[in-house]
Amino acid sequence: MSSDRALLEVRNLTVDYVGEHSIARAVNGIDFDIREGEAFGLAGESGCGKSTVAFALARLTRLPGLVSGGEVRLNGENVLKFDKARLKAYRWNEVSFVFQSAMNALNPVIPVAEQITDVIETHNPGLGADGARARAEELFELVGIPPARLDDFSHQFSGGMRQRICIAIALALNPRLIIMDEPTTALDVVVQRDIIEQIVDLKAKLGFSVLFITHDLGLMIEFCDRIGIMYSGELVEVAPSEAILTNALHPYTRALGNSFPPLTGPRLRMEGIPGSPPDLRSLPQGCRFAPRCPRAMDICRVENPELRLYPEHRSQAACHLLN
Amino acid sequence: MLYILRRVAFYLAAFFVAVTLNFFIPRIMPGDPSARIIASFQGRLNEAQIEAIRASYGTTGSMWEQYLSYVGQVMRMDFGISTVQFPEPTSSLLFYGATWTLVLVGIAITFAFLIGTMMGIHAAWNRGGFFDSVFTPINVMLNAFTPAVVALLLFYAFSLQLQWFPLGRAHSTGLSPNWSFEFIGNVLYHATLPVLSILIVSFGGWHLGMRNVMINLLNEDFVILARAKGLSDRRVRYRYVARNAILPQITSLALSVGFLLGGALVTEQVFNYPGLGKFTVTAIESRDYSFIQAQLLLLTMSVLVANFLSDIANVVLDPRLRKG
Repeated sequence: MSSDRALLEVRNLTVDYVGEHSIARAVNGIDFDIREGEAFGLAGESGCGKSTVAFALARLTRLPGLVSGGEVRLNGENVLKFDKARLKAYRWNEVSFVFQSAMNALNPVIPVAEQITDVIETHNPGLGADGARARAEELFELVGIPPARLDDFSHQFSGGMRQRICIAIALALNPRLIIMDEPTTALDVVVQRDIIEQIVDLKAKLGFSVLFITHDLGLMIEFCDRIGIMYSGELVEVAPSEAILTNALHPYTRALGNSFPPLTGPRLRMEGIPGSPPDLRSLPQGCRFAPRCPRAMDICRVENPELRLYPEHRSQAACHLLN
Repeated sequence: MLYILRRVAFYLAAFFVAVTLNFFIPRIMPGDPSARIIASFQGRLNEAQIEAIRASYGTTGSMWEQYLSYVGQVMRMDFGISTVQFPEPTSSLLFYGATWTLVLVGIAITFAFLIGTMMGIHAAWNRGGFFDSVFTPINVMLNAFTPAVVALLLFYAFSLQLQWFPLGRAHSTGLSPNWSFEFIGNVLYHATLPVLSILIVSFGGWHLGMRNVMINLLNEDFVILARAKGLSDRRVRYRYVARNAILPQITSLALSVGFLLGGALVTEQVFNYPGLGKFTVTAIESRDYSFIQAQLLLLTMSVLVANFLSDIANVVLDPRLRKG
C-alpha cells in the first residue's frame, strides 16, 4: 500500500549535543525518505541516534541538542526552517508522536479527555468544545476503548490502554506521519502484539505513514516496509525489511540479525557483537564500525564509506566491502 | 472519602496527644502557676481563699482528675484565668491576639505564596534566561535573611526615619473595630510593614520550590508530548507543568504555617503589634502559664488544621489520591 512518492525527505541531517567542553555529533549527516503510506523503521543499538532523529523531525530538539545542519523536506518545504505559526500547524496536523513509555506520556492530574480535546481545539478553534468532545469519543471508539471512560485519569487505565490512548491522541488530527518511538517497549509481549495489530489496522484504514523506532528487530521486520539501520549516528544500511535478515549487505546489519534467536529450528549459541559502539566525542578514523567489524580492511580504517544504492539488492549500504 | 476519614482520625489523635502533652509539661516543671498568685498576696490569704485560687487553676485533686477537668476545659475553650492580667480570662486575650496574628500571617502567606510561585513558574520556564539568572539568586538570598533583621531594617527606615508608617499597634487608637472602609484601610496601613517583613523573607522559598519542581517536570514525556501537540506555550506551562508542580507546594504551604506563626513572634515584637507573639513574649516574661499553654495548643491546632486543609486540597487537585 505504500507508494513511491516521498512524504518526508531527510537530507544530510546533523544533530549535535553541545557539552561545556565538547560536542558530540549524535546524528552525522543522514539521508532517507519516508514514503506515503509507508512504515519506515529505524533500528540500532541504544545511543545510535534513532530517537534523536525522531525528535529532530518533529522539531522537538532542545538544548543541549542542536540540529546543526541538513534539511527535512515535507512537500518541498524545509521543516527545519518553519516559523512559529507554520510550526504550530505542522505539529500534530502533519506529524504526531507516540512515545515509548505510555506510563509517562499522559499528564496524571488532568482528565484524559482534556488531553485529546485540547489538541483538537487548538488546531480547529471553529469546532468548539462539543465538536472536540465528539471527535474524542470517536477516537476512543477507534482504538477500542469505551468513550464513557474519557473522563478518567491515566492511572485508572492499564499500560496497554494508556498506549491506545496515546495512539488515539496521535490520530486526533489525521496526521500524515506518526512517529512511534518504541511504542511497545514498556508493554508485555501479549499487549505488544495487540497494539501492533491495531496500528496495522489503523494504518490500512487511514493511510498515514509511520516512522517506527525500536530495538526489537523482529517486530520491526514484521511491521515495517523498509528499515534503516543506524550505527553511531550514521545510517549504515537502508533496505526492504524482508532483506534485513536474509540479504543484509552491511556487516553490522548481519551482526545485528545474528543477535536475535530464531523461534524455530535447532538451538544456537548466539553471537553478540564484540566490543561496544564508539564514544561520539572521540570517533575512530574511517568507518565507525571498523573496530568491531570482523571483515575490516585497511581502507576501512582510513576512509568513512558513503551510503550507496545497490539496485540489484534494492538496498542502500555504506561499506567498502561492497565496492 | 475513606482517605479523608482516615486523615480526620489521625488529626483527632494528634490533637489529643497535643492536649495531653500540654497538660503534663507545665506540671513537670517546678512550681505551679497558682503559687505565684498566692505568693503575691504575701500570706494575707486564708486556707479557703488559697484553695479557691488553686481550684481555678486546676491544680487540686489527683492527676487523673486534673487531666479530665483540663480536657473538659479545652473542649469548652476555657483556658483559665490569666495570671498577669488577673482576672481576665485567658481565652479572650488569646483570641484577640490570634485575630491580629491571623491578619498579618494570612496576608503575608497569601502574597508570598502567590508572588513566589508565579516567579518560580516564570524562572523555570525561561531557565537560564535573564529573569532566572537575576531573580533566582536574589530571592534565595532574601530567603536566607532572618525575619528579625528585615523587620528591624524596615522599622528603622520607614517608621523611625521616613515616618511613612506608624510606630506600632494594629490600628489607630481613636478607632474602634468595625467593618468600615476607614477602619480596614487603617488596619492595612498598620499591617503594611509587618506583612512586608514576613513577605520578604518567605517568598523566595516558594520561588525556589516551584522552580525546581517545574524544571524536573519539563523533561517528562507528557510535557514533551504537550509541546509536540503544538499547544500554546501558556497552556503547556500552566496546564501541563505548573498544574502538577503546585501539588508539593500546597503540602509545604501547610507545613510553613507553624513556622510562620512562630516567626510572627519576632515581627510583632519589633512593630509592637498586638498579636499572639507579642502576648506570648509578655506571658513568658511573667510566667503566665495558662496563656502559654493555651497558645501552644492554639499553635498546634492551627498546624493541624492547615495540614488537614492541605490534605483536602491535595485530594481535590490530585486524582491519584481520590481512589476508594
